[in-house]
Amino acid sequence: MADEKKNVAVFLCRGCDIGASLDVEALEKVAAEERCVGLCRSHSFLCCDEGVAQIKEAVQSGVASLVIAGCSGRFHSQTFSFASCFVERVNLRELVVWSHEPHTEDTQMLAEDNLRMGIARALKAEIREPAKIAAQRTLLVVGGGPSGMAAAREASRAGYQVVLVEKQAELGGWLRSCKRQFPKNAPYRDLEAIDLESWILQLEGDPNIEIHRSAAIRSISGQPGQFEVELDVNDSTIRASVGAIVQATGWRPYDASRLGHLGYGRSPDVITNVEMESLVATGQIRCPSDGRPAKRIAFVQCAGSRDADHLPYCSAVCCRVSLKQALWARELDPEIEAYIFYKDIRTPAQYEDFYRRAQEDPGISLMKGDVISVTTAGGRGANAPQVNVENTPLGPSIQVEADLVVLATGMVPVAADGEAIRRVRDARAVIDRGQPGPQLDGARQLVTELGHHEGTDLLHLGYRQGPDLPVLPSGFPDSHFICFPYETRRTGIYAAGCMRAPNDIEGCISDAEGAVLKAIQCVELTSRGAALHPRWGDLSFLDFHMQRCTLCKRCTEECPFGSLDEDDKGTPLPNPGRCRRCGICLGACPERIISFGDYSIDVVSSMIKAVHIPDEFGEKPRLLILACENDALPALEAAGIARLRYSPFVRVIPVRCLGAVNVIWIADALACGFDGILLLGCKSGDDYQCHFIRGSELMGTRSENIRQKLVQLALEEQRVRIEQIALSEYHRLPALIDEFAAQIDDIGLNPFKG
Amino acid sequence: MPAPVLIKPDREFRNRLIASGGEDLKKCFQCATCSVVCEVSGASQPFPRKEMIWAQWGMKDRLLGDVDIWRCHQCNDCSQRCPRGARPGDVMAAIRREAILHYSAPRWLGNIVSQPRLLPLLLLVPCILLVLAAWARAPLETFLGGSYTPNRIIISYWSQLPQWLLIAFFAPFLSLVAVVMILGVMRFWRDLKARDREAGFIGQRRSLAASIRLAARSILLHEDFDRCTSEHSRMNSHRLVLFGFLGLIVVDLWVLTARFNPLLRGAFAYPFNFWSPWKILANLAGAAMLIGCTLMVRNLARAGRSGALFAGTWFDWMFLALALAAVLTGFACEILHYLRVDPFRYAAYIIHLATVFALLVLLPYSKFAHMIYRATAMVYAAHTGRQSQGGLRDSE
Repeated sequence: MADEKKNVAVFLCRGCDIGASLDVEALEKVAAEERCVGLCRSHSFLCCDEGVAQIKEAVQSGVASLVIAGCSGRFHSQTFSFASCFVERVNLRELVVWSHEPHTEDTQMLAEDNLRMGIARALKAEIREPAKIAAQRTLLVVGGGPSGMAAAREASRAGYQVVLVEKQAELGGWLRSCKRQFPKNAPYRDLEAIDLESWILQLEGDPNIEIHRSAAIRSISGQPGQFEVELDVNDSTIRASVGAIVQATGWRPYDASRLGHLGYGRSPDVITNVEMESLVATGQIRCPSDGRPAKRIAFVQCAGSRDADHLPYCSAVCCRVSLKQALWARELDPEIEAYIFYKDIRTPAQYEDFYRRAQEDPGISLMKGDVISVTTAGGRGANAPQVNVENTPLGPSIQVEADLVVLATGMVPVAADGEAIRRVRDARAVIDRGQPGPQLDGARQLVTELGHHEGTDLLHLGYRQGPDLPVLPSGFPDSHFICFPYETRRTGIYAAGCMRAPNDIEGCISDAEGAVLKAIQCVELTSRGAALHPRWGDLSFLDFHMQRCTLCKRCTEECPFGSLDEDDKGTPLPNPGRCRRCGICLGACPERIISFGDYSIDVVSSMIKAVHIPDEFGEKPRLLILACENDALPALEAAGIARLRYSPFVRVIPVRCLGAVNVIWIADALACGFDGILLLGCKSGDDYQCHFIRGSELMGTRSENIRQKLVQLALEEQRVRIEQIALSEYHRLPALIDEFAAQIDDIGLNPFKG
Repeated sequence: MPAPVLIKPDREFRNRLIASGGEDLKKCFQCATCSVVCEVSGASQPFPRKEMIWAQWGMKDRLLGDVDIWRCHQCNDCSQRCPRGARPGDVMAAIRREAILHYSAPRWLGNIVSQPRLLPLLLLVPCILLVLAAWARAPLETFLGGSYTPNRIIISYWSQLPQWLLIAFFAPFLSLVAVVMILGVMRFWRDLKARDREAGFIGQRRSLAASIRLAARSILLHEDFDRCTSEHSRMNSHRLVLFGFLGLIVVDLWVLTARFNPLLRGAFAYPFNFWSPWKILANLAGAAMLIGCTLMVRNLARAGRSGALFAGTWFDWMFLALALAAVLTGFACEILHYLRVDPFRYAAYIIHLATVFALLVLLPYSKFAHMIYRATAMVYAAHTGRQSQGGLRDSE
């Protein structure tokens, strides 16, 4: 056994108030009591060169694991990182001396327990040889619009090979139909020409870029570093191996036929901004109905955008596009008057100047209001549409006549909902089997509800969780975009351009640059066997003890990143390259067969068991906090940095995600005599903050299991509580913890003590 | 929801506003800072925000019948605070110019006033008319009864232009001006009422007599000017010009009616000697107007140089220049007359008469008309219960 070798070295730091607030000698004794500890030292400032030299010496002498007790592991992470040696950072600063009364028995006991837990983890954790993947330094770029072209260019500049796939016969996407653009340069006042051709020539002449036009993806299989791609190009099949994928499939205009109330389809003189773009490019703006020159052009902004019945979001460019088209039209014919009806004019950053430019044009009149309808005036053969606007500065209800009405429709992302496609396919399979029962009815209902997702596949991923990216209700790919833009819920596949979020051309280009850098980072890290965001550089990987697997499929279903496939029998097939190391499968597994080298059922259970639980006469309750290390743990530390005080009876164990908490740990803690357990995670729901998308949400659904476990043990349900906290809410924590402690006090101590 | 109102933008009207001082009106994005900072605007139907969008959309009818354009005294608090530099105060002035030209018939005469190049013509015509009148004096006198001499009062200034001739010359023109003004005010009042009906404005009404009292007090005490913060000194110059003008009008009326007044004797008889109370009043009033006009010129010129608050348009400048010319030539006449400088005193007198003539005849068509329309609008505002932001002073 490892512990007999006494190869854990403990280093205690006395700096930052630790030595002044705690009895460090007593702590050294606690360490020395552990049989595995062969070396225990304290230093007044461990992070100084001398302290680090002492640790290095110990590492060279062959210790397998280090316990460094001092500040939070989020500080000095490089200073205290030693190759081939597991380092456990025990927090005595933020979580002990900065948040609890110094020189008290309870604070000292807290520090001692933290040290014991750290030693327990150091003893159990192992460093395994990382799962390196021979990665292809080639990127697949899906979509040849501005985003895809920029992605290809940037990847090539970075020395990567690119396979660029475009479904149309030409590159350029929507830019092809766009002859002039709103300004991209100071002073942001005048329309600019678009030089698409030289851009295409540049790509065509680039030896690193392989362009496939009129092409579609037949299938993608594998994992980051080793995606195998099959393309259908002109009746032939082309195969490519790529390391990562940038999806830049762009957008399509919102279906204007749903905007009948705005006159579309009812009058030929009501057109969309996309149609206006081609009309204005002809150099003569004539009414489609009778060919007479249009002298009064009304632009209806947010036509079907920022509207709960249509697109709930803003498409970012429509305001500038309408301003551009109005200016362009006025340039073609100064007789033209343009009326722009808007909810808000959104011209971000320097485009305010462009807005001013249009505003100053005497022939462009802008008005805020809600366009409720566009009607065609009857009588006298006049076909001129009338725009009906409410809540305007000119009155509660006004009408304005125009010769031509342009609807500024929004962008719909060209992305398929992989999860929905899969659910429809699974439901079809159930219907094909035809066994009568509630399952069959459910399947039929699902097919009616989600049937429109069939045949929308773009990437054709061979993933258990579906052939495309999971998307949000608005159709954009799901990810933790606030912290990790360009990420999707498929590792190694990055979203760029208007399929990620509505963007202008500049935005698409910078998106493409970001996505390419992400893709390159993915290939490089994958080749080293390291994890990507948010556990950047983590070399641990999942180990499945397959002999005990019951094929319950919970791991394959619940992985937020679709990293596990299944074979025909339903056996999980891990893909380490797709894994983000969140441990949600570890939390889900009822057989507890999934583990990381340094984070497993056994490691955390050992930490729980390492805590000294005072007997029932000591009147010292013990509360276990399983804190998500992404937000909840930093929040606890922030509370310490702010010197906020809370109950010293809590014992904090960081977990990779609230979803990575296995219910057995709760049972273990209660069996050990912990009086209450607080699970601290990130916010779930539509505006989730969970770094692993669904972890805290899954913990919510697993709470039923926990409740059953408590009932089984004849314990009160209130002993386990789940709380969601954002990093910025750290000031809430002391009250929250103390209130929980008071509640546990009311319930009484755990009868399983001792 | 009331029935939808069809908006027909009048681009010609809007372009005229842009061309005559409202060149920044398109910059307004309706944030309403102007209405909030305006001390004169009321809490209901505040201005000048609404006038700005009406101007942008060329809504001529609404603007011309809008009482609020006249409640604005162009103190330019709004222009100073406007975050977009749309200069609502100047736009309001441009709208007022359009309103004056709209209500004062005939339109062509108004158009002449609004063109700088026709100013010499404006001065030349009365000069020629006066010379013609002087030339025609003798045949006229013969025609009217041999040796027509006014009873009691001897006109000695220049025998070629006796007072009866001047009255005969001025009276018809001034009567025409009065008719034009009365018609203009009547149309204006009708439009004000129509606009309020259209907008559904209902205020706490006052009697007409009380409203006139209130408006007169506000005008004489310069209450609205007093609320101005950024250009407060304009109150003083305007006060000097207004009171000077009123003083001169009173003296003129006295002089014009003197021959029909049996009570006139001694120092009160025309021509006055230097120490006559009337002469003293006239000289003081003239001095007040001279100082006031000079201050106004300085204000306009200073602002024009820095491009800041109040640069003024031709419309402002022409009225000011005529008023200043009338006062200066008046004083020139007086001095040259006392010094008996022949023949310049006669020339100065002709020019003085010509400028006064131009000033008075152009009253309905120049910025001078603001006197009539603003007074009407202030009476109307009081009548319909509109109150200022300050409100206290006219809430009684």
